[in-house]
Amino acid sequence: MSVGHIARGFEAEGLPTVVIAVKAFETKLKNMGLPRVLLTPEVMGRPMGDPLDKATHKKYFEAAVILLESAIGNGTIENI
Amino acid sequence: MTKEDTEKESFEDLRKSFFYGSRSNLSFKFLADLTDEAAGLFLQDLFKQVVTAIDTQDVSDLKSCLAAGQIQGYEAHLKSGFDYDEGPFTPLPAPLSELKLTLLTSSGHFLEGEDPNPLGVKNMTQKEAEARIFDFLKEEPVLTGIPFDCDPGKLRVRHGGYDVSGAIKDPNVSLPIAAMKALKVSGRFRSLTKKAYSFVGACSQKHLLKNALPKWIDRIKRAGTQAVILVPV
Repeated sequence: MSVGHIARGFEAEGLPTVVIAVKAFETKLKNMGLPRVLLTPEVMGRPMGDPLDKATHKKYFEAAVILLESAIGNGTIENI
Repeated sequence: MTKEDTEKESFEDLRKSFFYGSRSNLSFKFLADLTDEAAGLFLQDLFKQVVTAIDTQDVSDLKSCLAAGQIQGYEAHLKSGFDYDEGPFTPLPAPLSELKLTLLTSSGHFLEGEDPNPLGVKNMTQKEAEARIFDFLKEEPVLTGIPFDCDPGKLRVRHGGYDVSGAIKDPNVSLPIAAMKALKVSGRFRSLTKKAYSFVGACSQKHLLKNALPKWIDRIKRAGTQAVILVPV
């Protein structure tokens, strides 16, 4: 919820954002009207994947960056 | 817990003991939000997946089982009071390759020697942070700067709201500094701010909105940030 407020605040002040979160947060983030959200199939506390799994961290990060530049309106939520 | 206490314990008591109780476990605290029936089905599947993981040396289904339980638990307590029909949207001001990005997470990371000393406590342990989670929820959060070029060995993490064991083994599970630096080197975006940012997401939402956030927006903008990667935990 905290990060949802931050995303809304940044966007309202002209700073584009993308949120990378575990799927458990999907409904909460959706209900907060965020512009760009990437949902990962990970367990809570490890949204980027397992410790030392650099390939997965990189894959999720690249997907978030693509979402950052490709979203054209509020409410863009993607699963990876 | 004494044997006598255990004998009197109901299944509901057991479920709830994982939520900051006698069996506190932040990866399984969601059990408190499930019904007895749902929790029973979850445990049944979990036990099955444990044996499968042993047999196959593959934990992917076990992980999926835990993630599914967490989803179910969080769906059960969705009344946040912060639901919005719409929200702001800012398009990128230029192609990504021309932008300066930053990273902000609610993971509770900080650099050794720069402990924000939450609740006025020096060298607070993770155990104490968990025990005082409801005090954290009344407090204004503190934003900590973490240089992108810091020594990862000097990163610390403490957060009373989630299981930090993964973040202790590798900060990149919730503070993806390495992935961000690698993408910068590849030229995907122009530059990074000098520092990434982290705070403890378990905080007073009122204080966050009224006091902290306006200051943080100013701070992030002064760093020359043109777009932000956000990671909640």
